[in-house]
Amino acid sequence: MTAQDTIRARAKELLESGEVATFIGWEAGRFANQTTPLVITDAADADKLVFDEYCVNTLAKYVRDVVSRGKVGLVVRGCDSRGIIRLVTDKVIKREDVYLIGVGCPGMKDRKTGELLKKCAECRHNNPLEFDEMAGDAVEKPAAAERFAEVAEVEAMAQADRSRYFESVYAKCIRCYACRDVCPCCTCRECFVDARRENWVGKQNNVAENRFYGLTRVMHIGDRCIECGECERACPMDLPLMKLNRKVIQDMNDLFGEFESALSLEDTTEPLIEYRLDDVEEFM
Amino acid sequence: MSVVENNGAYPENWEPKIIAFCCHWCTYTGADLAGLNRMNYPANVRVLRIPCSGRMNPQYVIEALNKGCDGVLVCGCHPGDCHYVTGNYYARRRMLIFKRLLEYEGLEPERFQVRWISGAEAGKFRDTVMSVVEQVRALGPLNLTREIPAFELPRIPDDEDAFNAVPEEVTA
Ligand code: SF4
Ligand code: SF4
Ligand code: SF4
Repeated sequence: MTAQDTIRARAKELLESGEVATFIGWEAGRFANQTTPLVITDAADADKLVFDEYCVNTLAKYVRDVVSRGKVGLVVRGCDSRGIIRLVTDKVIKREDVYLIGVGCPGMKDRKTGELLKKCAECRHNNPLEFDEMAGDAVEKPAAAERFAEVAEVEAMAQADRSRYFESVYAKCIRCYACRDVCPCCTCRECFVDARRENWVGKQNNVAENRFYGLTRVMHIGDRCIECGECERACPMDLPLMKLNRKVIQDMNDLFGEFESALSLEDTTEPLIEYRLDDVEEFM
Repeated sequence: MSVVENNGAYPENWEPKIIAFCCHWCTYTGADLAGLNRMNYPANVRVLRIPCSGRMNPQYVIEALNKGCDGVLVCGCHPGDCHYVTGNYYARRRMLIFKRLLEYEGLEPERFQVRWISGAEAGKFRDTVMSVVEQVRALGPLNLTREIPAFELPRIPDDEDAFNAVPEEVTA
């Protein structure tokens, strides 16, 4: 039985028995080599579920939208499971709210080029870290690229070049907020960009406001980012968002000790809401 | 963030504009003491009072720079002296990270500084302000790009683009 068969069979059983109210997976898209996330409530739809190497979307964030209907079943790979750990740690959902069918992930492909997706090439945990049952075995994937290689590249640039580089980056942003919408850390009931009365960020699409949004987003997800790379994948304007996310993660690793967000439900290290009396002192 | 080509192209009577976010309990009192002692320091600095350095929101810094300040100074109580006991410990971590992030994006380190200044350290407040003003003066105005540069404007797609955007398996 392939993983896909197991997922279909288990989704059907879970929905029929009423153990879960909704089930989240992927269905075939309109075009070849394309899938889209699928939320089903009817066991008869279980045969629409697919699992192949083009399941590029991370599913965890969808749980937030449907959890009010009852327990949610979903397929989790490494990134999805870390997203769920994130949501539970951030108290957006409870662990009992989800039933997780784990599946090993060989890395997903870009439907246009057939190459390994950038986020998957950089992924360090392709097998689920949290699950209720596994559909198939854990699998191997090519070793992840150097975690902070991109950051080092930017850091090697001269100050004026970095300044120009990031201004050209922010000039491209159209503030669609797709990066926020897919992110399992961005679960605020009211995001600062939507806070109309406080008016944190202007509605104009210009470099100044885009920078304000971009920097704030990075500081907000800061110590919680699970490095799933979904923001960068979802960005229609190809902004190199992981260069920003990983810069913050790298500095936190250097300054406050090694850590990686959302690896287990027990380890909830979040360097920016903790402190030590003997932290690095640069401000005397 | 600043663009160097413009160096030298600003008016001779340009004065740096610095905003200082000062903790109510220590630095703001220290600044007050500097005034009581009739210490002289440059008028380039605008002091804004915040309840605690732990209340310092990174967004204030971005907004200040976006809106035309040439430098930002954040001041709070010395670690261990926070009125709310732990506020500045959190601030220290956040500002360490945030300062590096701004510098990564190309801001000169001198334009965003953080200092611990107690209520008794009127002299340190004056010296800090003077040194920040001088450092920023030496750098010149912060020349942030605020609008989308005209040459960056993407072409408006036409019908042909729309057709080309449809994957081959549909048009074939
Ligand atoms: S997804 Fe990209 S274009 Fe959209 S708001 Fe985020 S960074 Fe900007
Ligand atoms: S990589 Fe992007 S989408 Fe994923 S957790 Fe980090 S900020 Fe959110
Ligand atoms: S950008 Fe910030 S405020 Fe908006 S959803 Fe993400 S964490 Fe929340």
